[in-house]
Amino acid sequence: MDVPRIVRTQISTSELNPPQELVEAVNNATVGLLEIVKALGEYLTSTEDEVRLKGLTFLSNTMKAVNPTKINRQATQTLTNFYLSKLDDFDSLPPALGGLTVLSKLSTFDDDAAVEVYKGVVENVNMKAYIQATRHLVYVLFDSLLATHRNALKALGTSFLNSYTKMVDGEKDPRNLMLLFSIDRVILLEFDVKDHIEDFFDITFCYFPITFRPPPNDPYGITADDLKLALRKCMASSPYFARMALPLFLEKFATLTGPSMKDLQLSIAACLPVYGADAVRERGVELWEGIKTEILYSSDTSIEAAALSALESLIRTLYPTESDAPSGLAQDIIKECLEILNEPDKNQAVAATKILAAIFRASPSAGRFALSQALPQLFRQFNSPSVPSHRSPILSTISSLLVAVQSVYASPTSQRRQHEEKSLDPYHTGILDVLREGLRTEGLKSPAIKGCTACVQIPGFWDREDMENVVRGLDDVLVNDEDPEIRPEVIKSLTTISVHHSTIIESLTLPLLFHNLPDSAPPASDHLHREKYRSILSSLTELCVAPALFQTLVIRITTKLDLLSTSSFSTSNEVDETMDEAESEFDLRECNIAYSWDLLITLQRVVDKKIKEKHQDLIRYFDQIVPRLFTLVVGASTSRDDKALFRDRRLIGIVARLVESLVWELNAEKQSQWFSAIYQAFEKGDWTGVVHDKSQIGLGASLLRNGTSSAEQDLIALYAGTIQGLKGDAVLPFSSPETFLSSKIHWTINVARDNWQVKWSLDLICAFVNKRENALKESLETILDSVWSLEIQDTSKDLEIRLRGLSVYLYMIKALSLLRSPLAYTALERVLDILSLSNLDPEFVPFAAAGFGILAQGKGNGHLTAKLLFAQKLWNFVLPKLIEGDKEASGTGRLVYLVAFASLLPLVPASLCLADLNTILPLILRSLSLPDPHQRVNAITTLTSVLETASDSKEVDKAIHIHAEVMVDALLKSAVRQEGVPTSGKVRSIALSCLSLFPDITRFETLHKHKSIVIKELGKTLDDPLRTVRKEAVECRAKWYRYGNAT
Amino acid sequence: MSRQLDNDNPTIFAPTTSKTSKRIQKGKASLWSQDALSDEDELGYSSGSGSGEEREDIDSEEVYDLLRSITDPEHPVSLEALRVVNQDDIHVAGNRVLVYLTPTIPHCSMSTLIGLSLRVRLLRALPPRYRVDIRIKSGTHQSEHAVNKQLNDKERVQAALENKHLLNVVEGCLSTADKRGSA
Repeated sequence: MDVPRIVRTQISTSELNPPQELVEAVNNATVGLLEIVKALGEYLTSTEDEVRLKGLTFLSNTMKAVNPTKINRQATQTLTNFYLSKLDDFDSLPPALGGLTVLSKLSTFDDDAAVEVYKGVVENVNMKAYIQATRHLVYVLFDSLLATHRNALKALGTSFLNSYTKMVDGEKDPRNLMLLFSIDRVILLEFDVKDHIEDFFDITFCYFPITFRPPPNDPYGITADDLKLALRKCMASSPYFARMALPLFLEKFATLTGPSMKDLQLSIAACLPVYGADAVRERGVELWEGIKTEILYSSDTSIEAAALSALESLIRTLYPTESDAPSGLAQDIIKECLEILNEPDKNQAVAATKILAAIFRASPSAGRFALSQALPQLFRQFNSPSVPSHRSPILSTISSLLVAVQSVYASPTSQRRQHEEKSLDPYHTGILDVLREGLRTEGLKSPAIKGCTACVQIPGFWDREDMENVVRGLDDVLVNDEDPEIRPEVIKSLTTISVHHSTIIESLTLPLLFHNLPDSAPPASDHLHREKYRSILSSLTELCVAPALFQTLVIRITTKLDLLSTSSFSTSNEVDETMDEAESEFDLRECNIAYSWDLLITLQRVVDKKIKEKHQDLIRYFDQIVPRLFTLVVGASTSRDDKALFRDRRLIGIVARLVESLVWELNAEKQSQWFSAIYQAFEKGDWTGVVHDKSQIGLGASLLRNGTSSAEQDLIALYAGTIQGLKGDAVLPFSSPETFLSSKIHWTINVARDNWQVKWSLDLICAFVNKRENALKESLETILDSVWSLEIQDTSKDLEIRLRGLSVYLYMIKALSLLRSPLAYTALERVLDILSLSNLDPEFVPFAAAGFGILAQGKGNGHLTAKLLFAQKLWNFVLPKLIEGDKEASGTGRLVYLVAFASLLPLVPASLCLADLNTILPLILRSLSLPDPHQRVNAITTLTSVLETASDSKEVDKAIHIHAEVMVDALLKSAVRQEGVPTSGKVRSIALSCLSLFPDITRFETLHKHKSIVIKELGKTLDDPLRTVRKEAVECRAKWYRYGNAT
Repeated sequence: MSRQLDNDNPTIFAPTTSKTSKRIQKGKASLWSQDALSDEDELGYSSGSGSGEEREDIDSEEVYDLLRSITDPEHPVSLEALRVVNQDDIHVAGNRVLVYLTPTIPHCSMSTLIGLSLRVRLLRALPPRYRVDIRIKSGTHQSEHAVNKQLNDKERVQAALENKHLLNVVEGCLSTADKRGSA
């Protein structure tokens, strides 16, 4: 390899990084480093500054690039000496420093060399003359020397420390300071700095407090906080600082504010433990004064928190162990706090409480002393308060102290434990008494609950009996207190207790709650009792999520449901006479249905929570819950009593939802078993595998045959629930899924009695197709074809049959479109085609148009499988066809396209509409005048989202201003109730909220003519029968009143 | 503000009025929880025609809700927090609404302005069929009678609202009215 040639080329082209081949050659030892130096010779010694700089830079760059082991001892020495000779050369300094830094890291670089280099730099480099980048290189070199040859530098002693402090003095650049602070810290910790502490004080504390604010778009990303933290570590590096630092801190108390004050407090917190008890004790009182001001009077909570941590640090430094008698400062502070607490309703009392808590956290001895002084006084004040209203803040103080105690004794990182310090033991009864008193007293409950929660969590403080007492008190509040703010606190407390002591909750709280649940519903007029059972159920919803308590919930609720189902609610005379039923609009049966529904929704909510939190115990309860519910529902539907409770469809519906959730949680094997049992039951009439108690089931034949009663047919919901919960890999108990599907389609179209049954069996079909697309693949097309040609196209059939056929058809398309299956789109063509026939088939086609709403449902909340971007694909397929159809049609024929468009709108987010606003906005505007309120809701929802983005896009803004008047008129029509126009609360309230956007996004001159009209029209909406609508109306009208007033 | 405040350190009360309604639900809503009813809506039980909607009448709670978050003209605090308006002091019967307001101090010159703000708010937010009376709660103000007279005189109210400056102040007080007790 021709080294000189390479070097020459590089230098002459000013390409100062070594070429890869050269680096490799050095690395595999074919070229020696000295060879390169030789080749560089003429450049390195050149008298031209520029040429010399190039040579040096090339050399340093090469050294950085090559494998460090290739630089042998001799080379190291030579190069070190060479670079040292360049240190006094102003221009050559940066590459020389770079080279030395590389060398200093080598194993061949010895201590002597390190000392030599350090001295060389100190003697030859005048820091003030160089720019930041060069100074940075000096510090990097120092850092490297300190890291690798610390002992050699240490041996230099005074001369090193003196020269170092001189070198770094006056540095101002934050980038350099970050590095310097870390070097300072190392020296302060490792070197003997005692005699030079003043110099170090000067080069560190001169930066305090840091007021640096990074320039906007700072590329170096150094924040004020980075610097503060680095400096703080430095300041807290040596106890020798104490003598000078503490007076400085004290002086700063008077002058600093805001973030700097926070910095000061945090710095004190960091420094005091290092400076040591002796130094701190001398200035303790003064420090406390400075800290106190910020705790008692600061309005900034972050400064207050910083001051509290400074206080903790102060106390921890002065009284580190159990054996340090809490005399002196701690005593004074505590006394001061207790004086403040004599007026517990003052704002400062809260701060005093925080001070006491901080003292407890900081020191075992001072902490115990604080409690021994504070608690007796607080008990006294609580038991005989000067003003009754003082009791609440006093109890709050006690509870806050208990929380502090808990945070120390229950923390896994703290070494302090209640059973060792026993600081609360003397006040055991006192605490228990005030807390129980608090739980019983109006206005004190909230702090009492907080205290109880804390005590329960202090290990080894309360025994079981105490806890049971407190839980009884809490239960009492839970059951009897009507204050809606207290209840969640009790629940939270009980939930916390249940984590540590679930048996207490299980044996005390749950029985009480269940005992307070009535066996049958209170009559309709008894609002009080109904509210009560609702409140209990919502408590149970929170509490029973815990695995230990879930079992009780399952047993109790299923038992209650059993009981409800067996009681008779036939309107016998006896009941009529005893109940004041004439007053109420609902009979007892309806009340009980509502009650059962509430019980079931409780179970459903707990199950949902457990699923969300991935509780493993849930599946175990499948056999306890599902067969029992099946027994109830199936038993009712097959009994002779046509008033049986569980014949109610609302109950069947919620049971089906519950079944779906639980089936989904089963593994594939269990799912297969369960589905096989279900299949046997529904298709063959064998209910053994499904119900809990077969004796209650009346019949044996297949429920889905022709001629079953309507009540039995309602069971389709349970069938649907199971299939919706079924995963794709569960084994089917039959060989031909297509036969199964066809039979369900047949049932839906020809057998189901009403829309409720149809709805459930449509869900069943949709879920089955969605999950079994693979198994069905071949036959799906045939099935869709036959549904279309036999059920839908045949105009001789009943309209109802055709409509059901279409629903089946659309639900299957929905199932397939979620999977982005091509079949979905080809099948959908037919529906799109049929829209043009609205004149020939005027009853059927509008239904088909509205049917696009089925596709717009998307995945829903269920367990359907959906692929990414399915909605976009469907939208992009359908929309152009609708627009085209709309153009070609005329007169009323266009209406169906509009209906289809408005029905499909919820499928996609508004952002998709924005992309194509100019074509879509006119459609939306026309949709605003559709007769069906549902479709108007869709149109207004999309319009609202479009309007909300108006400020982001010029194009949208323009379009809105063009159409503003039309929009406002159309929205007003939807907002005002008019006789004979179909409307809904939803459409009125959403129209109003959309209308209230205009004053913000449209310029006044566009709509100023409308202001008075809008305000007048909105006056009518103020009298809307629905409260929610009125609320929107008031807000909307207020906005329009202000419209244009801004000056 | 250069003028000396009437009451420069008023007592501010925590919003103890609970956020939940004490209304007793009527009809279906009395028996069924909200979720059950919304489920039914989804399944299309209830008629979408709007004719079957049960009327929820305007009550004192609703009127209070309209007024509670209006800002005091002197302090950036709501009338609810100053206890100038209280739900118990609002009465609704038929087409009449009667609101008693309680000034923070007996010589408060702001009472008329507060009363005017209340009136404007109700004028805008209640259906026109209502007749609104706004009165000072008896025994809480020195010139109770005069203020009452001023507040319930249609023409004087109208004249006040034609004063641009006054209207601006009222608009300022009303700008927070939409919060309705939520912080």
